[in-house]
Amino acid sequence: MEGTPSDGTAAISTRGLTKHYGSVRALTDLTLDVNSGEIFGFLGPNGAGKSTTIRTLLGFLHATRGSATVLGLNMVTDSVEIRRRTGYLPGGIALYDSLTGEQVLDYLVDMQGREPKRRAELCDRLELPGSVLRRKVRDYSRGMRQKIGVVQALQHDPELAILDEPTEGLDPLMQHAFYAILDDLRREGRTIFFSSHVLSEVERLCDRVAIIRAGELMAIHDVGELLARRRRKVTLRWRGAAPDPTTLPGLEDVTVDGSRITGSLTGEVSGFVRSIASPNLEDLTIEPASLEEAFLEYYAPGQATTEEAQDR
Amino acid sequence: MSWRLFAQTLRWQRVRLAVVVLAGIGWGVLMPVIYDAFSDVFRDMATSGIIPDELLNFGSGSLFDLPGTITLGLQHPLAIAMIGIFAVGASSTSIAGERARGTLEVLLARPISRTVLYISIAVAVLLTVLIVLLAILGGMAGGAAVIGLSDELDLGRMPLVVLNGFGLWAAFTTFGLAMSVSFDRPGPAIGLSLAWLLLHYFLEIIGSLWTDAAWTQEYSLLHHFNPGEILTGKLDPIDLLIVYAAAIIPVVYALLVFPKRDLPAPA
Repeated sequence: MEGTPSDGTAAISTRGLTKHYGSVRALTDLTLDVNSGEIFGFLGPNGAGKSTTIRTLLGFLHATRGSATVLGLNMVTDSVEIRRRTGYLPGGIALYDSLTGEQVLDYLVDMQGREPKRRAELCDRLELPGSVLRRKVRDYSRGMRQKIGVVQALQHDPELAILDEPTEGLDPLMQHAFYAILDDLRREGRTIFFSSHVLSEVERLCDRVAIIRAGELMAIHDVGELLARRRRKVTLRWRGAAPDPTTLPGLEDVTVDGSRITGSLTGEVSGFVRSIASPNLEDLTIEPASLEEAFLEYYAPGQATTEEAQDR
Repeated sequence: MSWRLFAQTLRWQRVRLAVVVLAGIGWGVLMPVIYDAFSDVFRDMATSGIIPDELLNFGSGSLFDLPGTITLGLQHPLAIAMIGIFAVGASSTSIAGERARGTLEVLLARPISRTVLYISIAVAVLLTVLIVLLAILGGMAGGAAVIGLSDELDLGRMPLVVLNGFGLWAAFTTFGLAMSVSFDRPGPAIGLSLAWLLLHYFLEIIGSLWTDAAWTQEYSLLHHFNPGEILTGKLDPIDLLIVYAAAIIPVVYALLVFPKRDLPAPA
């Protein structure tokens, strides 16, 4: 499957990107475009190929075949320049235990060769005061290490941030602080590419999402559209007997239990609500569409990857 | 070359380096003292025939003159251990250690090529090796001066000793670095680097102790650094050629292999 071609300038563009380790197909024919200025979610379970994609884009892995550009630069020949203009948070980041948080940030920004323009703001928003930054990294909790990881990735104000499971280890309060930081970056026109298996954060943050499974791109969608297309769980309760469910447009998988009708609704809600308007309608519950359902749909047995289809 | 990475690599080693430099100076000072105190005793023992000749020429050194004692001091396991801490330990764990800890990924996320990363770390580790070598040789020269034996050493030839000695230990250092870029964990890298050093030590020692196996010494890099001979004006340019060739080959290997290696996520 290929990603939706973009109308805007692609911050990341891959064409048939493939990475095999011997007989293991870590990534197969990945073609996608990440537009400049968007937050792009890269969703998939553990081992799906998310980190392999990121590591290939940054030059840690060499593609078996295919090509990619990042910020318009060739992934292979311009790798150093790509990393100059990019901020990267590795999954499960490792830091230098013998240094303080501040020394780690100083060291990495020196190596980056840029000013840490955003450091003070990021530390403030992620609640990393000077007293914490002056402590050795070895004394940090996992969450604090992750916060340092976020700061080191963004402190030099990169054009593109590539974040591998960025909220791992952050408490809910810090997750929300992190989401707010990403929202601000988007407003400033920065591009964020982040991998996650946390559906709610992808739903909360992303403009578009790609779903990857067993190294293959299963789908790429606008998050808003995806949610609009989702089936919503609907429960109706009537005064007296329930009407004939076939008269309710768009409702599927209907179950009638006395005065109660449950079913799933696809498509526009407004038309459905207009059609059921009746003085006998006592209660109506429409559960919000969840990306999780969309996600699970892609992972349903019917959605086989090429490799699985070939195996059958 | 990344000077920031170079400086940080030195910073990681600074405490260890300070301790080893002090130990190296102490060991160096001790050599002329031992020579001054025991050379006559050893000479008497040699002439009496109690000790086989082979044992009186351990490696390529001897206690019968100060240059020979200096050779002995630099071929002694203690001196090898002191220099080896950096030439084998620091080199082989440098890149593989960063890889195993996961920090190599953080470093390589910066705008730095693997070639530059390798060169920056290699120059820093080679510098530590040079510092330890200078500390030992400085201790030897200082010790000789303190006990009034400076006239037995041609200190004008000391730069050649440094040149040859650095070439020798650079060969083991670059081998360690080559192993370091080849493995994802420091264990195999340090194991192979240590085995390489021990192999050369074995070839040198077995050849010096067993006359039928004297030919093995030629295959030992350690045999191509004889400070005693250099100090007495007998530097063989071939020795320099051999040790520097042995130093450069692993560099070429590392520069070819490291940029092409895949670096999957650390376990």
